[in-house]
Amino acid sequence: MRFMDARPDGRAVVYAHIQADPLVLRCAGLLADATTTQRLLARAVMNGESLDPDTWRTMFPTLFGPAAPAPGDPVRDRSEAVLEASLQVADRGDQTRSQFRGAIVEALTERLLAARTGPVRRERRILFDGRPAEIHPYDVTVEREDAAEAWDCKWGARGIKADVLHQLDDARRGAADESLRMLVGLVVFDARRSSEVRLVRERGPVAADSVRLIALEGLDRLAGRKPA
Amino acid sequence: MPATIADLIDRAIAGCDVLTVTAEPVEDECQYVTDLGTVWRARLRAIATSRGSEPAPPGTDDAITALVEEAARIGDPHRAIDWLSTLPQVALAALEEPG
Repeated sequence: MRFMDARPDGRAVVYAHIQADPLVLRCAGLLADATTTQRLLARAVMNGESLDPDTWRTMFPTLFGPAAPAPGDPVRDRSEAVLEASLQVADRGDQTRSQFRGAIVEALTERLLAARTGPVRRERRILFDGRPAEIHPYDVTVEREDAAEAWDCKWGARGIKADVLHQLDDARRGAADESLRMLVGLVVFDARRSSEVRLVRERGPVAADSVRLIALEGLDRLAGRKPA
Repeated sequence: MPATIADLIDRAIAGCDVLTVTAEPVEDECQYVTDLGTVWRARLRAIATSRGSEPAPPGTDDAITALVEEAARIGDPHRAIDWLSTLPQVALAALEEPG
């Protein structure tokens, strides 16, 4: 088994600019240390229509209401920063915001994994002897010979599709054929309940326990820690 | 008369109903939309069963109003599908309930 960079194409060139956008990196940094409710705030705002911050503050009383931490408290400051950055993403056009959201989930996954293990890489293909290589790269990989990992990242549960599951399972089986361990999984910036519903429908012939699912409530598990 | 948690749950479910109608044009996701509605409505109704008679905690009445109004603003059917997952999560967070 070996890892290699994806072949550069037009899509990759355009997407690389988005991946390197300071707003993407800022969002990922904020969300890496956020609570589950703060991450949910980001998801709602980046999916929403309203650009009025007070509308969102009203919607999240546990973050901004009378019983929430007061302004100046680090938790409250992070809530405000997550809201402000998420509104900047929401303020982009529909297509751009969609690309930003995907890039944010990937960057967040990379950061969380790097807190636990490494080396962590992005957009890498995985090659196995005697097997045709998948054309599409894996979003995030951990390239440890004794404990490799391959993750696909999705903004919403709707992104879970049969071809994605197949590609992940293919990597797992390729590694097994070479007597190597590989953890393969999906990181979904959406509720576990919605993701499981989708997974059940899309799984098809992929074995039930072969693909690890990390949903919004469990993102800290990527970093080897319990949810904040 | 102050709202109860059951009142808020009823409004959140009504918000889901609006989103379901908005999502209807995406025919190839009809099954997923149905599945989402089934699991999230069941989760919300479970709260109404266990805590329905409690008065709504401070801020939650306005939170659910803002949430349902936001759902009504969603005009894009694809985004409505995303919101069918988002709305119940936000409602649960407001009520300090796990997903």
